[in-house]
Amino acid sequence: MSRPELTGHASLFYNAREARKYDSSSRMVGIQREITERAIELLKLPNDRPSFILDVGCGSGLSGQVLEEHGHVWVGCDVSRDMLNMANERIDGKREAAVSTNKDSDNDEDEMEDDSSEDEEENNNEEPSTGDLLHHDMGTGLPFRPASFDACISISALQWLCYSNTKEQIPKRRLMRFFSSLYQVLRRGARAVLQFYPETSEHAILISECAARVGFAGGIVVDYPNSTKAKKHYLVLSFERAYKAPEGLTGVEGALLNQERAGVKVADKDPRKNGKKQRAPKKKKGGGKTKEWILHKKETQRKKGKDTREDTKYTGRKRPTRF
Amino acid sequence: MRLLTHNFLKSNVKGTENGYPLNIEATTLKYEESPVNKPFILNLLPKLNYAAFYSAVQQLSPHCTEYSLPEIPSDIDTSNVDVIDEETIGKLHTWLLDVYLVEGFLVCPDTGRKFPVKDCIPNMILHEDEI
Repeated sequence: MSRPELTGHASLFYNAREARKYDSSSRMVGIQREITERAIELLKLPNDRPSFILDVGCGSGLSGQVLEEHGHVWVGCDVSRDMLNMANERIDGKREAAVSTNKDSDNDEDEMEDDSSEDEEENNNEEPSTGDLLHHDMGTGLPFRPASFDACISISALQWLCYSNTKEQIPKRRLMRFFSSLYQVLRRGARAVLQFYPETSEHAILISECAARVGFAGGIVVDYPNSTKAKKHYLVLSFERAYKAPEGLTGVEGALLNQERAGVKVADKDPRKNGKKQRAPKKKKGGGKTKEWILHKKETQRKKGKDTREDTKYTGRKRPTRF
Repeated sequence: MRLLTHNFLKSNVKGTENGYPLNIEATTLKYEESPVNKPFILNLLPKLNYAAFYSAVQQLSPHCTEYSLPEIPSDIDTSNVDVIDEETIGKLHTWLLDVYLVEGFLVCPDTGRKFPVKDCIPNMILHEDEI
């Protein structure tokens, strides 16, 4: 798996081209949606009222869209201006659709019956987006006053804090600043669910340690730990001292989900190529290319009609040692 | 950016003590009507800093005379949301969620640092020496 985190700063990686690619990839959209749904499930928000949610690393607003569908109002911040522009386009589009449908239904209801196309029907219950965007780097601390939000989610963003792009950026310091500001801006009793892709287990430990140090309870939930593709890490944080992170999802469900999402069934890996652990035993030194082996090889080459040197008394003879 | 977000936003430039509320220097504003989200407003009110909200409305009002937006009361008891009538909630909704700051600046009251707003997105990125 390639790691964009290693290539440089998030705002440099997610440039206009990459942002558009990200947003238009149906696989990416599907995965982000699935993760966001799971994150919302882990948040355990009260169902009866809309909450005010912070989305850290909102990107092109894919997660925000899911929050909206659940009726929540959100504020998203991201370090990549190009990603935010994509999110802005989406929000503007939604708003225009909402405005146009409102106007349509006000003015020409009779005419609408005749020429209402599928698009308009889909847009009929469209509401303007509830999201607001902010260009901001989470590693420098969240710029909100204390106890602002009812919850916080973050989808595939936190791992960026584990890398430093300049000498001044110390991962641990940035993580600490992020978590201590998160601790402040959340309302007491709120929860935060942060999904991330740790490169190594040290990263996961570093992240959860920093979260614990600022006073959060909770831990990492790992969904589908036995699947390489469907495996997801969620850092679930709470203010309740006694809070224990729930068990991650496991088993067949994950495999099924994975296959559905891929659209194509992928055959099991060739067991012979299964990982690096089952490497063929090393050949003994000095073994291998003996005179017999070379003669046999040359014979087969000749049979194939390939240009091969004649066999001489020097064939397969050891080269003299220099010293 | 809406006033809803503005109400929670503060400056965290190094050396800022309070950094709240940010002053608004508006260039372009936008008004888009949306259906009143009463449960959200009621949920939000206890957290809302009404004084900051009111002063923000006062700062924006001169720029949006074309939309004939409603006046809001100068003070509301946000601790008891049950006594607030529908009309007031509608007015609050308009100002909190339907008015957008498109272009302009947010100014930190302590340090005077200006955060530019472009295409509705405030740029809160700090320079190396401000962290």
